[in-house]
Amino acid sequence: MPTIIACFKWVVDEAYIRRGPTGNLDFSSVDYKIGEYDRNAIEEAVRLKESLGGSAIAVTAGVPGATKGIKDALSRGCDQAYFLTDTSFGDMEPSQTAAILAEVIRSQIQSYDLIICGEGSSDLYAQQVGPRLAEKLGIPCVSFVQKLSLDAGKLSAERRVEEGIEVISAPLPALVTVLPDINVPRIPGVKDTLMASKKPVVTIKKDELQRVGEACLLTISLTAARMERTCERFGTDAAEITRFVGSLRKKGVIG
Amino acid sequence: MDFKLTEEQELIRQNMREFCKKHVDPIAVEIDENSRHPAELFQKLAEGDWMGMPIPQEYGGAGADQLTFVITVEELSRSCASTGFTISTHAGIVCMMLLLFGTEEQKNKFLVPMAKGQHLGAFALTEPGAGTDVMAAAATAIIDGNDYVINGTKTFTSNGPTAETFIVFAWTDKAAGRKGMSAFIVPKNTPGMRVGEHFKKMGLRSSQTSEMIFKDCRVPRVNLLGKEGMGLQMAMTGFDHGRIGIAAQCVGILQAALDESIRYSKERVQFGCPIARHQAIAWMIADMATDLSAARFLTHHAAWLKDQNQPFSKEAAMAKLYASEAAMKHTIKAVQIHGGYGYCKGAKVERLMRDAKITEIYEGTSEAQRMVISGNVLR
Repeated sequence: MPTIIACFKWVVDEAYIRRGPTGNLDFSSVDYKIGEYDRNAIEEAVRLKESLGGSAIAVTAGVPGATKGIKDALSRGCDQAYFLTDTSFGDMEPSQTAAILAEVIRSQIQSYDLIICGEGSSDLYAQQVGPRLAEKLGIPCVSFVQKLSLDAGKLSAERRVEEGIEVISAPLPALVTVLPDINVPRIPGVKDTLMASKKPVVTIKKDELQRVGEACLLTISLTAARMERTCERFGTDAAEITRFVGSLRKKGVIG
Repeated sequence: MDFKLTEEQELIRQNMREFCKKHVDPIAVEIDENSRHPAELFQKLAEGDWMGMPIPQEYGGAGADQLTFVITVEELSRSCASTGFTISTHAGIVCMMLLLFGTEEQKNKFLVPMAKGQHLGAFALTEPGAGTDVMAAAATAIIDGNDYVINGTKTFTSNGPTAETFIVFAWTDKAAGRKGMSAFIVPKNTPGMRVGEHFKKMGLRSSQTSEMIFKDCRVPRVNLLGKEGMGLQMAMTGFDHGRIGIAAQCVGILQAALDESIRYSKERVQFGCPIARHQAIAWMIADMATDLSAARFLTHHAAWLKDQNQPFSKEAAMAKLYASEAAMKHTIKAVQIHGGYGYCKGAKVERLMRDAKITEIYEGTSEAQRMVISGNVLR
């Protein structure tokens, strides 16, 4: 019976982000949630467990306040959780996240059959943690998965690629990153939520981990996208088109 | 003092919000328009353990506290006040009364299936001639062998047409006054009991309401709830619980009125700018947000007192009084903000305004709440 790990990120719920007067992002009254695609990852892990037996383990790295996310993941059917936590884990780069996830999976969970990640996080959508984690663990990685099954020590996955659908088979253990089409995440029932805190959680602090690598990137600022319109109108005759081209030149859009 | 909800309460609120967006919002207009009881929705609510929330798990419920239940009724009512009310009556009053006063046998037979959401419960006290004046009730229950024989007419019974289990109040000893009324568990289809037609109402239209007629209706003596003569006292306890639920329903209505008013006033442009920038509108929204907060705090406080096993009768009446009057006042304002569009069918504020009115009437009118509150503070 398989042991399936679902990785998730506890992210800002974008519905609560407000745009400030200067285009700045106001996070003062935000709430948090499990990233959208990560909910599909958890759901898939739990569905596989429910049909094949075994266990589903949720793993996340986040700030100490993310305990609600742990309960959320457990209420969705995971049997236990690993919570890697530190106040500095709120804005890690994908390489750092992948490194500590790999360390904990290797040292604490050891024996597993499948790791499921969302295709990308709901906040930055870098799509890197999954593939980097697979690389660090030395296991196959299958991305863009929209259908998944396990059988006789290998997985079979449908990948949605630009040209169509690719069907892939890979030996276990392996890692997949899933698309939202793979399932519809359940809405936990009241009892599921109330019982979540009774499930085992292993909390691992930063100083219990080997050195968390340094960040390579520095985020200087984050502002809302802005679209400015000049509201100029142009006709379709030759003179107007000349005026249109002149206007684009003036703004430096064309040379 | 800690105003923070627990993580579980926050998650349950989020889950209910998601449930509403997925299953309630898409049908809310239709069930209002057609006065339809959405059985399929209650089936889904039962699957998520939402139907017996405040009832312990050993009796089929979810084992949540009153505050968590209140938050759920609030969120449900934000999408559909009828659905919020149906659950509030079913779980908050009928299931709760069986939990508080039922024998072990009664709980296993009647409470467990109700708390699991397999069927609905109803509370039948009001009569055509006995509204706020409960003592004017005429229904009687006379012992005959191993049975009580009930005669009389009940009206405005919420969940009447849809419930399977009824708590019915009748005089067993009228001469004993306040200690002469008793309560009975009456299953649907008991011979001699007839459920009337669903009333066509101004608002809360998908909640089913009817008359109930009892003519020589025999119920076994084991169906007596609590002790003989305790009926009125138990009914008041039921109301105390029910009022917290109605207050929560009002908070949900108010929240929806505020949501709609904010959204519309930012979109609607008049005199060259969104109407939210006009002080006349902005101040209406400020008052709405303030009363919403006040109503929510009163409601959560009453629920919290219940969870602490402290008396909460006065606080429940205060919460219900304040929240229901605020809901009525501000849904009228919300329609005003929406102008002609708010007066048309399809605008959510139109439904909210119709739904709000009943909250000042049922489970004790505003006047009855003032009687309870003044009775408490003038003691």
